[in-house]
Amino acid sequence: MDQETLMTIAGYGKFFLLLFIFIMFYGYAFSIYRRQRSGERDYEKYSELVLNDSLDAVPLEKRDNSKEK
Amino acid sequence: MFHWLEQRPFFFAVMLFATIAFAGIIEIIPDFAKASQPTVGTKPHTVLELAGRQVYIKDSCNACHSQLIRPFKSETDRYGMYSLSGEYAYDRPFLWGSKRTGPDLHRVGNYRTTEWHENHMLAPAEVVPGSIMPKYPHMFTNTADIATAYANANTQKSVFGVPYDKDGMTKLGSWEEAKAQALEDAKKVAADMKNQSVKDAVANGQVPEIVALIAYLNSLK
Amino acid sequence: MQSNAQLEYDYSVVKLFTFTTILFGIIGMLVGVILAFQLAFPELSNLAGEYGTFSRLRPIHTNGVAFGFTLSGIFATWYYVGQRVLKMSLKESKFLMTVAKLHFWLYFITILLAVVTLTLGITTSKEYAELEWPLDLLIVVWWVLWGVSMFGMIGMRRERTIYVSVWYYMSSFLAVAMLFLFNNMEVPTMFWANGAPSSAMHSISMYAGTNDALVQWWYGHNAVAFVFTTPIIAMIYYFLPKESGQNVFSYKLSVLAFWGLMFVYLWAGGHHLLYSTVPDWMQTMGSTMSVVLILPSWGSAINMLLTMKGEWGQLQTSPLIKFMIMASTFYMLSTIEGPIQAIKSVNAIAHFTDWIPGHVHDGTLGWVGFMVMAALFHMAPRIFKRELYSKKLMETQFWLQTVGIVLYFTSMWIAGITQGMMWRAYDEYGSLLYSFIDTVTVLHPYYTLRGIGGLFYLIGFLMFAYNIFRTATSGRVLDKEPANASPMAS
Repeated sequence: MDQETLMTIAGYGKFFLLLFIFIMFYGYAFSIYRRQRSGERDYEKYSELVLNDSLDAVPLEKRDNSKEK
Repeated sequence: MFHWLEQRPFFFAVMLFATIAFAGIIEIIPDFAKASQPTVGTKPHTVLELAGRQVYIKDSCNACHSQLIRPFKSETDRYGMYSLSGEYAYDRPFLWGSKRTGPDLHRVGNYRTTEWHENHMLAPAEVVPGSIMPKYPHMFTNTADIATAYANANTQKSVFGVPYDKDGMTKLGSWEEAKAQALEDAKKVAADMKNQSVKDAVANGQVPEIVALIAYLNSLK
Repeated sequence: MQSNAQLEYDYSVVKLFTFTTILFGIIGMLVGVILAFQLAFPELSNLAGEYGTFSRLRPIHTNGVAFGFTLSGIFATWYYVGQRVLKMSLKESKFLMTVAKLHFWLYFITILLAVVTLTLGITTSKEYAELEWPLDLLIVVWWVLWGVSMFGMIGMRRERTIYVSVWYYMSSFLAVAMLFLFNNMEVPTMFWANGAPSSAMHSISMYAGTNDALVQWWYGHNAVAFVFTTPIIAMIYYFLPKESGQNVFSYKLSVLAFWGLMFVYLWAGGHHLLYSTVPDWMQTMGSTMSVVLILPSWGSAINMLLTMKGEWGQLQTSPLIKFMIMASTFYMLSTIEGPIQAIKSVNAIAHFTDWIPGHVHDGTLGWVGFMVMAALFHMAPRIFKRELYSKKLMETQFWLQTVGIVLYFTSMWIAGITQGMMWRAYDEYGSLLYSFIDTVTVLHPYYTLRGIGGLFYLIGFLMFAYNIFRTATSGRVLDKEPANASPMAS
């Protein structure tokens, strides 16, 4: 394969990778706004992690150690 | 799926790393082999020039001087032919610089002489009134490190296959040969200089930093 | 694990890093001010022989403020914010405590050695990667230690969800590790000396010429991203809501801006190499991506400004809020200025001129410096359990430094554009109008002004150091940790 073909393949590769990332990113954005609206998950409550951060405060979501990776 | 990821630090880190590394993989890898071909006529630096290059690096000349002429008429008129990728094939590290507090030096060997550099390094403002460049008198007394320059050249030859000792290319040889050659090159530079202590040092087999530096600057063409 | 009323957060490592933030801040900024005046008054360059020239000092300034001041600030806040948002204490693990202490001492030794070697002229010449190979190896060790402490602390957390600040710290750790390793690939030459008595400290880059430049600016630009941007965003996402007692305006936006920034930032390095000998498509890509970068940057900045919605009164009463809001504003300024400079035709004029250091400094002085100092101010009453020593001093410092920054970047804007235009000016006969030296002497007033601006900032920083010192030693003792607004004596 010559340089020309390689560059062409690389070019297409880049284009589709970018397209893939683009779709992933907007899919992500869409999904979190949809879940917030449907009430499936409240993202805004995570600000509380800062405001309520003393060591003896009750954790916002307690960690379940049994199935943790 | 995304939320699952946000609670698992390990997989999260892997995903994050992939996102960060993505650009580098695409941007840097494909063109690596192509860009490093030397242009015809470009030769590896001699040991004395490498010692001078090391002085240039030691005193961070690249903090104020670029070695990259951009393809604009105003730059080619001022500094000469615009820079080509192949001209840098033997530059480790590259010394393009990022700021021109002083002028570009990529082709300074075409329009400055040994004598000019000698006067200028001692007292820049006397040669160029208004110059804000520091004086570098210590270069006249410090000795250049020829041994490290030789190790540098030999590393380039052994590890990176830089064509020293090839037909029509720069000769390197053993340490003894290289030292003798560097001293001989230094004598040629010193012959055009007028500072007596520098001349004496070279006659005694020492190479002051200024001699090596001028040899390097003269090689920039 | 159940919560334990006896258990407390451990701030011993935070205190150590707070100390180095101030120490290296003073050294780095002092050298910076000297450099600024050396350009205005070149005789100052020759006061200390070979060790005092502009060229020898410049790497000490850049390394001192980036890897001394800023990194210390990042580590100090990491050990503070990390413990708190994960709800774990370093006291709970002897291992992590040891790692954190070792991390500090190795880091401290490295930066001290860096100052020594750079003074001696031992440098690789690659910007922000000047340190030679033995020091690079040392850096790898403590960087890994930081990683161990980070993931160890995350592993011990009580909160299931990891707050967005920690994401930013993580990104810093991962990205700098990758960038640093690739850019510092170097071969010590002593192993091929062939009997010559060569220096053990010397090494050469694995890459040559254009490739070296490409890797260097991929590193150089993103070292800015992951030292001067992401960890500072991590700080503001914690300290601004905490100090003001407000919820983040939109947590969703912060998460999206995070991924956007992560993906886009790495592409922009090419804008340092416009019109150079790297391939054209890379230059165009670097230029385009730099403009795209405005979105995620402003996403974070606007999120911070809107966090203060309805609470703007605090801006008047709390100098700490002033520092953070000003930092956020400077972040917006420099992230719009950067993309403008990355446009090819603008870059043709701006590149190689003083506009570039001008741009760097409204980011570093305004955004990084203000945010790190605000974070330290916020932490001081908590780690020393004392009231901040003087509010008045903070107010004075804020205004002095703000004026300093404005003097700095306005003078450099004018200087840069003036010089850029003069370099390309032709007379009616088609020859260059100005010799190079004409374009240097014209800058004298701007260089002087810049030096004065820098001096203001340095004086402000000394006031900051004094304020923290007095807080730690003679501030009124607090009987309980303040929840939000930091207590300060007038």
